[in-house]
Amino acid sequence: MSSRLNHTAASSLGAALSSLSSLAPYTQYPSLMSDQEEARSVTPPKLDTNFKPAKNTVLVSHGRPPWYGENGERICDAFVVGIAGGSGSGKTHVAQQLVRSLGSIPSVIILSQDSFYKRHTEEELALAHASAFDFDHPDSIDMALFAACLSDLKACKQSNIPIYSFVTHQREDEPKYLYGAAIIIAEGIMALQDPSMRELYDLKLFVQCDSDLMLARRLKRDVQERGRSVDGILEQYLRYVKPAYDNYVLPSQRYADIIVPGSHNQVAIDLIGTHIRRKLHERTNAFRHKMAIPHLYTSPSGTVVPECKLEDLNLSILPQTRQLQGISTILRSQTSSRQDFIFFVDRLATILMEFALQFLPYSSRTVTTPVEASFTGKTLSAKYICGVSILRSGGTLERGFKRVLNDVPMGSLLVPSNITDGEPLMLHVMLPVCIRKRHMAEETWVFLLDAQIGTGASAFMAIRILLDHGVKPQHIIFVTFLVARGGGISVLRRAFPDIKIVTAEVDDIVREGWIEGSKVEGNPQGRQVWSILPGLGQIADRYYL
Amino acid sequence: MATATALAPVPPPQPATNHSQMTPLPPSVFTLPQTAQLEALYTIIRSKDTTRGDFLFYSDRIIRLLVEEGLNHLPVVKKIVETPTGATYEGVGFKGKICGVSILRAGEAMEAGLREVCRSVRIGKILIQRDEETALPKLFYSKFPQDIAERYVLLLDPMLATGGSAMKAVEVIMDHGVPEDRIIFINLIASPEGLRNFCTKYPQLKVITGWIDLGLNEKAYIIPGLGDFGERRYCE
Repeated sequence: MSSRLNHTAASSLGAALSSLSSLAPYTQYPSLMSDQEEARSVTPPKLDTNFKPAKNTVLVSHGRPPWYGENGERICDAFVVGIAGGSGSGKTHVAQQLVRSLGSIPSVIILSQDSFYKRHTEEELALAHASAFDFDHPDSIDMALFAACLSDLKACKQSNIPIYSFVTHQREDEPKYLYGAAIIIAEGIMALQDPSMRELYDLKLFVQCDSDLMLARRLKRDVQERGRSVDGILEQYLRYVKPAYDNYVLPSQRYADIIVPGSHNQVAIDLIGTHIRRKLHERTNAFRHKMAIPHLYTSPSGTVVPECKLEDLNLSILPQTRQLQGISTILRSQTSSRQDFIFFVDRLATILMEFALQFLPYSSRTVTTPVEASFTGKTLSAKYICGVSILRSGGTLERGFKRVLNDVPMGSLLVPSNITDGEPLMLHVMLPVCIRKRHMAEETWVFLLDAQIGTGASAFMAIRILLDHGVKPQHIIFVTFLVARGGGISVLRRAFPDIKIVTAEVDDIVREGWIEGSKVEGNPQGRQVWSILPGLGQIADRYYL
Repeated sequence: MATATALAPVPPPQPATNHSQMTPLPPSVFTLPQTAQLEALYTIIRSKDTTRGDFLFYSDRIIRLLVEEGLNHLPVVKKIVETPTGATYEGVGFKGKICGVSILRAGEAMEAGLREVCRSVRIGKILIQRDEETALPKLFYSKFPQDIAERYVLLLDPMLATGGSAMKAVEVIMDHGVPEDRIIFINLIASPEGLRNFCTKYPQLKVITGWIDLGLNEKAYIIPGLGDFGERRYCE
């Protein structure tokens, strides 16, 4: 209960209790956007200075760069910060200031210990409603679950964290899905208590604050926000909060890497922010340029990758019928009308999806026909099926997909290229329930849709995201119109040998180029782009714009 | 193009359990690849317990596959285009005008599938029923595009049982000046005897069928079949 703080609301309430108005420095947020922040050469969208990051939500500002290597394996964990401190010491405040001081963060979660209160029995519930339950004892927290969720998030997997309702004093049935943070800030009075938790932190903070200041803040909050009586608050404080602080919270201070003052702590936060940014930079990877035309680059082990042969790629290519050749000619021609282009993309997508469906598992099924004859045929035996399109261009396959599978969920991933270095950035992840939940993901077949595989960088990231969620590689069917044999497909294939890749056609070449007039600082040649030859241009632009 | 055409079609990863009930196939008959996936589609529409919504959706999927396969038998010509990347691409262009002709009433169900693939295609109609006096198929009504003689004709009828009405329809179309080898018959389920009759009479005419079943029962229904297609599609 003690850490159920809401400083944001507290600050907006103003000084209703005039006797406590001297606490103003704690509730007012100074502007933390330093000059150094403003001077960054890269200018992704900045967080507003009044931005109050929500807890237990993945906050994204400009997307997460690759967290895996060319072999498809994860190369780094998410960066985990643990923040402990007494009730009212300002943990949430420190966490929020940290997020803001990071400025343009790739993606971050503030994970609150409050979510992990144990599910209560009827007796405990009665006590809780009578304010006679000790929420400040370490045993009230499901540390094992807290550590498990944190461990999953750290390993870049999804986690479905519990939601605790303070209205019913009970854990809610439906958990909350979280995925994709590069930084995780876990905060709570017991955050440094448990050894299994401590092992997970890359940085351990303890927010140090005077006991009387903490009591004052608690008094103010509970009176203003919860309408409690001063007597009741003091009784609870003396009975549970203070002993818990003395016996459990304060001793955990010795595990901290840094002790942060509970007020006037801008300098500390700036220093920590700089440290996290540097660590984060060390943990990202950039290899699109190496993927794009693999045989022109030397691999990390020093060997030159030979130009790959078509047979080695293990592609499932649509039978090259007359109609397919005719459709392809229309799509490739730059003089085709927009109307024709859209129509034939949809038609080809349908053919392609029908072809891709043969890779799902089928089992035997016997039916009786209306003429009372028995027929032993087949039925789909995949437990869950869903589609996931890589936006924008994967959306061009969606109409064909729905024409063939009309009742399956459809997710999407937004993986745009970074304007400076062309690396993919994970910006938005919207996945169906059958992928979000790990036990379901293991039995889900996924059609991953993208218009073409050129450098393969966004395909690479999308596959990594699905594998992070527990989808089996042999259950991923990648469906695309066009693959460039000389492009990133060979790297993709080596990293993920088990996924099925279904394509309508294969072209030979990927060509490097630079967009004129797109020069920005740190990017002297302009924006680098890759195109497939002969190819059919930018499918999404021709389909949507 | 050079790389693409050199590729042999990949065998289906999972073949169907049931096989074509006619060996050898007449040279003018083409079936869809007999995959487990296609068999699963047929299993759904064959079951008498399938809901109307599912029957419509899954029969439409098969029809679309059949129409796509039928169109592959139309001629193409070499065509060179320039791609948006500035490269030249040697492809093909579609040649020849087409029209659909549906045999009422079940054949109409296949029109939508044809239109989805060929926008604004012209569609003629034929009504053929059994003459109660002679017990032979009799033409009751027909309406064709004026220039049908210059077009390739896709004849649409989902069920080929005895082949009587399909043969009558071909006769009518040929009377309008369409040569036999410019007609393509598109069919969902055929019986071996119906197919044999039909191909013996019109050996030049290409037949695209999804599945060849066991045979006919005493009421001339296809076994195992799927019942009366028109009835299930429109009336039940």
